[in-house]
Amino acid sequence: MSESELIEIAGQWNFNYNYFAGESASRFFRELRENQRIMGTRCTKCRRLLVPARAFCDACMERTNEWEAVGPEGTLDTFTIITTQFPGLPKPPIVMAYVTLDGADTALINLVHGLDMSDIDKAARRLNSLPRVRTKFIDEPKGRITDFSFELI
Amino acid sequence: MTAVAVIGVGQTNYRRAHKDKSSRELIWEASKMALEDANMDIGGIDAIMAGIAPEALSGEGSVERGGMMGVGKPFLRINTGGVTGSSTVFAGTTYIQSGRAKAVLVVALERMGQATSSQQVFNTIFDPVYEKDFPLTTITMAALRASMLMRMYGYTEQHWAEIAARSFRNACRNPHAHLKLDITADDVLKSPLLAWPIHRYEACPMSEGACAMVLAAEDIVGDRNAAWVQGAASTSDSYAMGDRIRRPEATLVDLLSLRLSAERAFKQAGIDRPLEQIQAVELYSAFSSAEAMAYPALHFCKPEDGPRFVEAQFSDPSLPKINPSGGPQGANPVSATAMVRIAECALQVRGMAGERQVADVDRAVATGQGGATQFSTVCVLGKKKVH
Ligand SMILES: [Zn+2]
Repeated sequence: MSESELIEIAGQWNFNYNYFAGESASRFFRELRENQRIMGTRCTKCRRLLVPARAFCDACMERTNEWEAVGPEGTLDTFTIITTQFPGLPKPPIVMAYVTLDGADTALINLVHGLDMSDIDKAARRLNSLPRVRTKFIDEPKGRITDFSFELI
Repeated sequence: MTAVAVIGVGQTNYRRAHKDKSSRELIWEASKMALEDANMDIGGIDAIMAGIAPEALSGEGSVERGGMMGVGKPFLRINTGGVTGSSTVFAGTTYIQSGRAKAVLVVALERMGQATSSQQVFNTIFDPVYEKDFPLTTITMAALRASMLMRMYGYTEQHWAEIAARSFRNACRNPHAHLKLDITADDVLKSPLLAWPIHRYEACPMSEGACAMVLAAEDIVGDRNAAWVQGAASTSDSYAMGDRIRRPEATLVDLLSLRLSAERAFKQAGIDRPLEQIQAVELYSAFSSAEAMAYPALHFCKPEDGPRFVEAQFSDPSLPKINPSGGPQGANPVSATAMVRIAECALQVRGMAGERQVADVDRAVATGQGGATQFSTVCVLGKKKVH
């Protein structure tokens, strides 16, 4: 059968959801909105300060208890520079990186702003030198992970 | 424990879209070929396991309904992301080892051609609370690791390009492959940059297709051409990628779960000198960096010797042949990819790999990688039965 004779039936998945963040992430997001600070929770067993905050440590299967603020500065651990537009994703170039904030034992992902992107390879070399970064909050935090991003110091 | 063998393999061709076949027809076609290769009919099959990963890729809920073949058999649908295919094989193997079945038909389907924006779908597999607001996709996840490997172990963009070009050239000898490109590392480097350091020709294609295998207990194998499952291990890792970046015992690019799987599977198979005892390797390496991470995990070399190992493959014929089928760069039907690795190893061991056959294969090793490397599988197939 030729391609033109084959039938395609149009379909669309466009369901709406409300994702339930749970108590720990809710408190983490409230701290972002109200105090512009990034919080971690400490595992009662391995004692790592897990960032972003969560109710338990999945490696140990134990609860976390103490809440501690981290940053606002930290070290960039790894990154990518998105250079191509993908449908449904923001416009390139976008720098996305894992950063370990001072005091934290784990890295968290966010976007990095304020880098000269006119030469991608040069920007990549700069990012690969594990630069220090600082957290920068948006003017009106909404209690979302996108309330802040990183910029190189 | 009874020994288990692969006695039948069936694969559709892999391509961007199979507009000439419904999902059910793809499953049926691969399964029928596997049964014919095993010289069996559906009546001889005791259980069916269907591996299909996220449903949003096909836009069909409960897409496993296409796995209904024959009647009156236990049926399981399995989804463990990228290792869906190998998890499905291991479920079948375990069913036989435990005495619940003599013969199991395992099948994996990828139907992502129906999605008009698969990277958008891939973004939905991340944590909706902390991760989904970022452009995390399979490509950017690989890029985050690739840049880390470059910094830690000295890989360059040239290494990524060499690996990709080799896989695409190998795919030219595989009639099932989707992307068969006779290209060089230079061509890869000249292709558009997707997410630094990953270029278009270093990324796997989006492929559709189905793969099926018949697994059998040793007492019904008879005189069939069999590839024996000598070792099979599957291990998981902690979820958050950020938790593993600085983890002292194994960073994000030291694939702890793959290393543990390899150590367990090699022990079962009696492998203690992998470079000498394995002739063919099918790696779940949708990106070159995934291949690089597999070298130390499979004890092929130390992490810091990885860049040299890439170069050695082109000059040392005694090393195991990596991805003779072209690997996931030749075709990446996601839900099926990890099963395809095992199926290709079975064909190598059975001497049925056609133009892509590696000479004198006694043992072949297949890996699987899933999630954000949360899941890893290693399967050793060989000519000899191991108890
Ligand atoms: Zn812990």
